Amino acid sequence: MKGLRSPYHPGHIPLGLVFWSLWFVALYGGLSVACALAPPEPEQGPWNWLNALLGVSALLTAAALAALAIWCWRAGKPQPSPGHQRFVALLAAGTYGVATVATLVIALPILSLPPCM
Amino acid sequence: MSSRNHAPATDPDQLHDQFNAVWGNPKGWRALTIVNHTTIGLRFMLTGAVFFLFGGLLAMLIRTQLALPNHEFMEPDVYNQVFTMHGTVMMFLFAVPMMEGMAVYLIPKMLGARDLVFPRLSALGYYCYLFGGLILITSLFLDLAPKAGWFMYTPLSSAAHTPGPNSDFWLIGITFVEISAVSAGVELVVSILRTRASGMALHKMPIYAWYILVMAMMIVVGFPPLILGSILLELERAAGMPFFEVARGGDPILWQHLFWLFGHPEVYIIFLPAAGIVSTLLPVFCQRPLVGYRWVVLGVLTTGFISFGLWVHHMFTVGIPQLAQLFFSAASMLVAIPTAVQVFAWLATLWQGKPVYHVPMLWLVGFLIVFVCGGLTGVMLALVPFDWQVHDTHFVVAHMHYVLVGGMFFPMMAGIYYWLPHFSGRMPSVRLGKWGFWLVFIGFNVTFLIMHWTGLIGMPRRIYTYQTGLGWDIPNLISSVGSFIMAIGVATILLDIILHFRFGQPAKVNPWRADTLEWATSLPPSAYNFVSLPAIHSRHPLWDNPGLPDSIARGEHELAVVDHGRRETWGTDPLTGKVREIIHLPGNSWIPLIAALFIAAMCISLLVKVYWLAAVFFAAAVLTLLRWSWENGTHPLAAPDARVQPGEPPLHSRTLDGPGLWGMGVTLLANGALYLALLFGWFYLWTVAPNWQMPQHIPFNQWLLLASAVLLSLATWWQARAIKRLRHGNAQGLRGHLALVACLGLGQSGLLLWTLLGGELAPRATAHDAVIVVVLIYSLLHCALAATLSALQAIRVHCGYVGAHAPYEPLVVGHLWYYNLGVLWSSYFALVLFPSTWGGSG
Repeated sequence: MKGLRSPYHPGHIPLGLVFWSLWFVALYGGLSVACALAPPEPEQGPWNWLNALLGVSALLTAAALAALAIWCWRAGKPQPSPGHQRFVALLAAGTYGVATVATLVIALPILSLPPCM
Repeated sequence: MSSRNHAPATDPDQLHDQFNAVWGNPKGWRALTIVNHTTIGLRFMLTGAVFFLFGGLLAMLIRTQLALPNHEFMEPDVYNQVFTMHGTVMMFLFAVPMMEGMAVYLIPKMLGARDLVFPRLSALGYYCYLFGGLILITSLFLDLAPKAGWFMYTPLSSAAHTPGPNSDFWLIGITFVEISAVSAGVELVVSILRTRASGMALHKMPIYAWYILVMAMMIVVGFPPLILGSILLELERAAGMPFFEVARGGDPILWQHLFWLFGHPEVYIIFLPAAGIVSTLLPVFCQRPLVGYRWVVLGVLTTGFISFGLWVHHMFTVGIPQLAQLFFSAASMLVAIPTAVQVFAWLATLWQGKPVYHVPMLWLVGFLIVFVCGGLTGVMLALVPFDWQVHDTHFVVAHMHYVLVGGMFFPMMAGIYYWLPHFSGRMPSVRLGKWGFWLVFIGFNVTFLIMHWTGLIGMPRRIYTYQTGLGWDIPNLISSVGSFIMAIGVATILLDIILHFRFGQPAKVNPWRADTLEWATSLPPSAYNFVSLPAIHSRHPLWDNPGLPDSIARGEHELAVVDHGRRETWGTDPLTGKVREIIHLPGNSWIPLIAALFIAAMCISLLVKVYWLAAVFFAAAVLTLLRWSWENGTHPLAAPDARVQPGEPPLHSRTLDGPGLWGMGVTLLANGALYLALLFGWFYLWTVAPNWQMPQHIPFNQWLLLASAVLLSLATWWQARAIKRLRHGNAQGLRGHLALVACLGLGQSGLLLWTLLGGELAPRATAHDAVIVVVLIYSLLHCALAATLSALQAIRVHCGYVGAHAPYEPLVVGHLWYYNLGVLWSSYFALVLFPSTWGGSG
């Protein structure tokens, strides 16, 4: 066990969803603050600097989460590892995967609406 | 570490007598001192059941009033009190405590432990729940009950619109009850992670423990925002600090955010343990393991997290930007997926097993039907345009009851019937049980299925009566008739349960042929659960070894010697389940009751606005809790004798790890959630409140705050240095170091107090200053507490209770110092640096 550098560390089980939660709070908070300080023109529709920023944050977060999911999945696949290690790695892969999907699904409306209406 | 070597007895009766001498429950008045989880869990459930009947009675009054148009059964003001109290009682005094009570009762037994890790905390939690509930209920009999709805929206609940003590009863009573919820949450988390049977690795945990772990963590993180909201609203009402008043820079929508930050996860806090009952019972009645254990665990974890991302869907009509609404709409739909994963796992288990339709199974099938319907209307409500249409109508009331009654009450009844032999040693009656189920199932659907239509044709919720001719007469009458059928069903169940104590067939060992360890105890169980603690090799210990109850009772497993007089259970590794230490547990005590009585007296003093008396009772409660902390570790009343059997690990108080350390960590997590909610309030008002007023300069001495933070850093560093030496077995000068840390902490607290009192803060004039005052007081209380605890540690070193032989306690206190350090520097950033850089104060 080498702390969180090991995919078998149980801290990975909640970590993906913790990252997702932080991103979600930043998304909602960032949108609210940006709309209060410098709202883009509604005429621009969904294609404006704020939606671009939110979209990029979603893509970067999802990419990082997906990479972590793959890393844990690969660590959990080999059969000889002890049962609790496989369990932790595969469960963590699952939560990272779910967090990836959740990030992308929640970010989808960015493509369709202006931010501050 | 020296050891003692006594051969354990093997006669079950002799062993029982030995264990009972240490663990047994006293009778008479001294029964109030009992702390073991079996008794406390039963008390929680029994009290919850009484509150349920009370809440149900209020529901009958509501349905009687609404049965006919222009009905004058109740005055509007009484009706407002009744529906507010119905929701409040059911959510806060029944659903959560009932689920927690079941978990408190079951978790140690399922994990193969003898008790929860903090038994006295369990007792304190129970008394806080009982007294808080009684305070709240009393208000109804005084015609002073809360009447602003169970979510107490401001400004309706504020002093301007509800001037009497009605809202105060809610704010103070519920906060009191929440002490109980959070303490049980902390205790369950630590118990599940640290007291499992030997060998019970994370992947061998009973599925119910996963559900309870997630629920308990959700309580730890989810309840503090409401506790904060209640404190702020009470401060506004009692002291005129305008957090939610627009004219002075507050915002009523902040209350909605704080409430629903708690309120939506609350639904899952209630649902998840109930789903845990389903996942536990279905495999037993299908006689096969749960399909997709790992998928279900993933579903439970995901549900727990995503449920925190839904709170704004209760606020779709308050004027939030459409894009933000869609974020929450998407999250609301997303949460249905992990729930559906569990539903499919249950269906697959039914499909692959050979289900036996005993009474608990009827309730499980009823749950599946009702809850899935409630879940589907939940997805409908997640759609913003639909939500706008039915917002605040009876459709929402119907949906909520389908989710909560279907998702909590039905599985809970399945669980009660299933575990009845545990409570009484007898089996339930099949005939009356089936009658009870069908009456409730039919009555429930007649009431609430129809109510969807009542809402769709426009009937708003919370109105005390309606005109005839609007199309609402017939559906309301049908709903009222259905509710009385449901009430008859509840009465039938009650009769069945009461009668079974007298006429039920005596239960055999493991009567349902279950797989989990709670059925390895005697029926009803003794206070210590297990004479000896077995090693566990799979998720189904009783299916693997049906003879386990006998071998446990004969003392053939571990920790079967009790002549040392200590209450003990295993302390295990959270991941692998390997035994690490022996956790010694405190025994029966008056202290939890006394502490709860002082807190109750403080709450009543606040309600009657005798604040000096409240301060006296607060001080008395703090002193009682400090006295409690004194009987710990190597204290003569705790575990002065550290000798153990050959080959056994040391007592936890003689190690560098233990439940207290984990308990402190989880408590600080709850505390951190409250502080983050406070910072959220600060930044929220800054961004959104229409009349937020920034002063020309910071209205307190920022240099004093900086000096306080620097001094706290120095004290924390010194404390860390002393702990580092202690970790290496060096306790030289420990008393002096801890005393110095306490002095530094005291000085630093003094600087904070100076900051607070020496500035130009006007907390009644603006929300800006009011928030600053709360942030400073929060830090001050925490820093003063840390200084006091370090001073106590220095005295304990002097008494010989702490030292190289028992290095554990300073580590626990050390966590609090680190936390305070993080809080104070964050506060400095938020109150001083942020305003200086983002405009406003300089």
